[in-house]
Amino acid sequence: MEQFKERLIDIFEVEEINDTDVIKQFEAWDSLTLLSIIATIDSEFGFQISASDFDKIETIADLLQFIENNKK
Amino acid sequence: MYLSFKNKRIAQILSVLPNKEVLFEDEMENYNFTIAKSLKLKAAMGYNKRRIAEDGTTSSDLCIHGLEYLFNKDLLNKEEIDALILVTQTPDYIMPPTSNIIQGHFSLKQDMVCMDINQGCAGYVIGLMQSFMLLEQEAINKVVLLNADVLSPKVSKKDRNSNPLIGDAASVTVLEKTINHTEIVFSIKMNGEGAFALQIPAGGAKLPNNDQTAISEEDAHGNFRSKDHLVMKGDEVFNFVQSEVPPLILELLSQTHHDKEDIDYYMFHQPNKFMLQKLADKIGIARDKMPSNIVEEFGNSSGVTIPLNITHNLSNILPEKKLKLCLSGFGVGLTWGATIIDLDKDTYLNTINYKK
Repeated sequence: MEQFKERLIDIFEVEEINDTDVIKQFEAWDSLTLLSIIATIDSEFGFQISASDFDKIETIADLLQFIENNKK
Repeated sequence: MYLSFKNKRIAQILSVLPNKEVLFEDEMENYNFTIAKSLKLKAAMGYNKRRIAEDGTTSSDLCIHGLEYLFNKDLLNKEEIDALILVTQTPDYIMPPTSNIIQGHFSLKQDMVCMDINQGCAGYVIGLMQSFMLLEQEAINKVVLLNADVLSPKVSKKDRNSNPLIGDAASVTVLEKTINHTEIVFSIKMNGEGAFALQIPAGGAKLPNNDQTAISEEDAHGNFRSKDHLVMKGDEVFNFVQSEVPPLILELLSQTHHDKEDIDYYMFHQPNKFMLQKLADKIGIARDKMPSNIVEEFGNSSGVTIPLNITHNLSNILPEKKLKLCLSGFGVGLTWGATIIDLDKDTYLNTINYKK
């Protein structure tokens, strides 16, 4: 999961991320960052997350919890 | 579903590209994104140049140009054509079939079969399957498979999801009987529950074009398009490809008793470089065995990207040695399919530009 957080830091082009950060408020958030997250989760955790799942995922903590619940 | 054919081969593939070239940078200011963000997208997806048809150029124009080239060079004889298949999502008219229009243009013989097939990204694989089925008939010795899409007019210029990648193109593939016994196996799958992941909402009987369908609206990501435009659910398409295509390929290899290394090249439909590299990684094949340069050079011309990928990337390699290829197309429908097929050293491969 630490490795995944590092990947998120790259994707969002920030110095650090915190559990309470709101995903859609990152400056870099757009359809490309969304696709990068989808692709990373597919290769790292072996499941497909969809754009509509992000309607329920607000913060980084929510995303990490979603991965915990769905990873294979 | 597995389908198997024997004693058939691809004799010629000719790709036809429209002359007009558009650069990614030329259109960046149409998008509702900062330049920095758009350049990031360009780098990640491998966007660069694309070819689009000039106003008024249609699928039949590109196909006729290709056929004329083959006739004029004596590479194909009109009398030999027993079937003319056109795979397209952009026919000239709702009726009649565009394949009949092309038959009429060249005054081809009446003793033949013309057929339009509505298929997109997997259309080349479906077209090959249909062509080989026709070749099973005693009366049919040569099939011309046309594949053309002119989708660029259907994409909103303000849609950063689809506009930077869309390209127009056509291809002519000539298929014939042969005494070579190498089996050609297809694996084809369809899922109509995902039919609306890629669509043009308006223009058919369910929603005819009108003033309302032409109104441009902003989506959740800042792209503008109307119901007359092509719309793609990028995340659904990505997930569909990554989850369905690798098992399709691995099962086809195992069904036909091939190892991954037995295949010289994996010539796949070209959605974008990003998706192809992820696909190569997931299937477990070297990225250089799966060319992914078609979108950056010419754009994504739907099903035509497979023949274009072959004529552009293999025309210098093929004369040296017979190649074993795995072709795969995946997209609208949803449809995904693959085939393992040999290309003989003497197969004619060429790419030409369309001239009016």
